[in-house]
Amino acid sequence: MENLMQQIINGLSLGSVYALIAVGYSLVYSILLFSNFAHGGFLVISGYICYFILLYCGANIWIASCAALTGTGISAVIVERLAYKPIRERTPITLYMMIASMGMSIIIENIFVVTVGGRFRALPPVIPTQPINFFGIATTSAFDVLSLITAVVFLVCLQIFLLKTKWGLAIRAASYNLSTAGLMGVNVNRLIAIVFFTAGLLAGVGGIFLSVRYTLYPQLGMITTKAFVAAVIGGLGSLPGAVIGSIILGLAEMLTAGFISSQFRDLVVFAILIATLIVRPSGLFGISIREKV
Amino acid sequence: MKKLFLTLVLVLWASTAIAAEPIKVGYLTPLTGVSAAFGIAEINMVKIAVDEINSAGGVLGRPIELIIYDTKCRNEDAINAVRRMVDNDKVVAILGSIQSGIEIATASITNNAKVPRISTGATNPFVTVDTKGKVRPYSFRICFTDPYQGALAAELANELHKTKAAILYNVGSDYAHGLREYFTKDFKALGGQIVADEGFMDADVDYRAQLTKIKTSGADVLWLPGNGKDMALTLKQMEELGLDDITVIGSDSYGEFMNEIAGNAMVGTYWINHTYLEDPNMAPVFKKYKEVYNDECKEFVFATMGYDATYWLADAITRAGKVDREAIRDALENTKNLQLKHCVLTINPEDHNPYKKSGVILKVDNDLKAKFYKKIEPK
Repeated sequence: MENLMQQIINGLSLGSVYALIAVGYSLVYSILLFSNFAHGGFLVISGYICYFILLYCGANIWIASCAALTGTGISAVIVERLAYKPIRERTPITLYMMIASMGMSIIIENIFVVTVGGRFRALPPVIPTQPINFFGIATTSAFDVLSLITAVVFLVCLQIFLLKTKWGLAIRAASYNLSTAGLMGVNVNRLIAIVFFTAGLLAGVGGIFLSVRYTLYPQLGMITTKAFVAAVIGGLGSLPGAVIGSIILGLAEMLTAGFISSQFRDLVVFAILIATLIVRPSGLFGISIREKV
Repeated sequence: MKKLFLTLVLVLWASTAIAAEPIKVGYLTPLTGVSAAFGIAEINMVKIAVDEINSAGGVLGRPIELIIYDTKCRNEDAINAVRRMVDNDKVVAILGSIQSGIEIATASITNNAKVPRISTGATNPFVTVDTKGKVRPYSFRICFTDPYQGALAAELANELHKTKAAILYNVGSDYAHGLREYFTKDFKALGGQIVADEGFMDADVDYRAQLTKIKTSGADVLWLPGNGKDMALTLKQMEELGLDDITVIGSDSYGEFMNEIAGNAMVGTYWINHTYLEDPNMAPVFKKYKEVYNDECKEFVFATMGYDATYWLADAITRAGKVDREAIRDALENTKNLQLKHCVLTINPEDHNPYKKSGVILKVDNDLKAKFYKKIEPK
């Protein structure tokens, strides 16, 4: 029983970090209908900005995080301008953007390998990690609780942004039909920039948490494969889907590792993915199945 | 005229003596990638050893020239590097490489080309013998092997009165598989019991599910046959889950860089190792390291091994009496009671491993330094 509670808490905390990343995938997908595989690179950018500011500017975690989030948001916009804009202006086929994003993710990873080196770096202990006991039935670190709360706060903020603001309305409109939204007077380039900035910002939050938890290295972005799977299970393009997919995945991973065998972990994760795709090809909450790549 | 001629002859003779053709020695080491911290300290120390040997007149009157290649911790890069050393640089011997995978992947190249080599830290049995148990004639090592390391860990666990062991290992690593197997065998033979045997995948960074399982298994000791990063992350996550009453014994991949990741979770952990920082024989060398590089020799283990391997090779060339690969190989094989800094080395001609080499246990103190705990002599 204690074991079960413990694994559920582990699963929720893992799922919440997946959720931050998965939402970024879904957000970009909902507008541009392609999976942005450079998303993992944004995590790495955020981690390194945070690391170097903490280390060399003596700033506190709040300033470092703000800088990292802004920096990552801007990098995401730059990536879009450099790699995706020229493609989307020339062809309506989104497959090319997906391929470009794969290239971009390798480029970002290798920029860090070449400039700062491949070694593992640990962020200073800026986020408390001491164990917290829940009524004697389970133990988790303060860090997990914080990451869960942060993920929820950011996801709620995102929801408010999408539902209550003018640009949020524009994004929702564009997710139905980008060109129609453009015809209705929405500045499409600015809209896409905002979407990438937001996705980059959320990836930045995930990046800071992941690099504190698992150390920082140029290949840290690989972790996003699981978040992407979560977004697909939940239904690419659906934000609640991304969150629920992430929680399912986090729980499935931890419960498999805890009660069956840790070696079955990835087997189960990808089996869930295949099963979802067979039963509901558009994912649990996905609506459209056209042109998915 | 005669005087001028004589001077000319003298000048010519002197210049050839100074420019005695160097002995080319290849050095294979990870300067980037997971094990870079080890490789950088190792190569820095080896440069000191080579300078010492050269300023004392070299070997057989010829200076040693190091040709260094980075393995990047990747087999394919190491294979390229070894090919270049053998074919282009025409080295007489190859030193270094602390990774078993790399040694095994490149063993056939050097053995076919008949280039003797000494590994400084590859502990897998198949580095010096092939899968049929036949010795690889040109491969040697200065470190102990995994079966021995597994036995040391089991013995230590037993000495600490631990009876229920857990293992957490990388299912994709030859090194981890070997250590897990040998530890299990020896720990059971000593009357212990394995209560949890958990694996993880190569790229995994989250071990909380496995650790939770280990926690409920009632284990009192955890054997970690991993690389530095895996083991440090494990310790950190153990601390977060409140697993502080389990004693941790880790493998020889210990490095001080782990402190940066695991912090205080390192305190009280035990590490099987080849040598120790307080070794009085090494003190002058470490002092020199600090003078030359203006930095402490933090990753001292493979630095020491590299230093001693360089002297071992120099000794073998001297005994061979000529710079000839085959003669050097024979001399390496016949090494007996050679006094090096960290050990007295005798090579077993059957498997090219050091014969009855003692192991060292380190324990991390409150100041996060790994201190000498005890030396275990082989039975």
